[in-house]
Amino acid sequence: MNNEVRARREERDISQAELAERVGVTRQTINSIERGRYDPSLELAFGLADFFDCRIEELFDPDGDDVT
Amino acid sequence: MTETGLGSGGEPGGTPTVSARRRYRRLLFGSVGVGVAANIALRLLSYPVAAEAAYWVGIVAFLAVWQFSPVTLFDERDAELERRASTLTLVVAAVVLVLGASGVRTLGALGVYDVPPFVSGVLYGYVGLFVVFAVAYGWLSRGR
Repeated sequence: MNNEVRARREERDISQAELAERVGVTRQTINSIERGRYDPSLELAFGLADFFDCRIEELFDPDGDDVT
Repeated sequence: MTETGLGSGGEPGGTPTVSARRRYRRLLFGSVGVGVAANIALRLLSYPVAAEAAYWVGIVAFLAVWQFSPVTLFDERDAELERRASTLTLVVAAVVLVLGASGVRTLGALGVYDVPPFVSGVLYGYVGLFVVFAVAYGWLSRGR
């Protein structure tokens, strides 16, 4: 599943660790999501969308290439 | 073992949860590691009672950190990794049990090789593991 997490994080100029902190997961989890190696839970996806002030479908594309 | 949950962001007072999580996880695994190391050292020095005491101090410290840590020690990715590792472990155990049990029975029936009790014990241990898994699965699947 493709996602826009890295692009939106870099837009806001925050680190993976800072984003991880804000949504309550580890930096490794954010890194895995950005690399497409881990698909987040619905709860975390909502948390990320809430943080970036966008809709989930703007952040995640289920039709994208599955890297895992 | 893993408990997950999304935090509400930074901790009160602005203490970084990332560094706090790292610190508590180090404490979690460090306490049991030190307990086991102390147990081995004290047994080698012929202090069996003190060795067991050190072991249990490590275990209790582990449980205390796990239960009372103010930060979420493991997140959902950790839980996913744990689930996949558990599945892989069960697959390996199943393969060993299926092949091993058949092999033991065949060799015993043919009188080719008497399997030592240790091997039978390991296989029965795997059987026990699957019984525990089945019970746990049944219990967890109630109401889901």
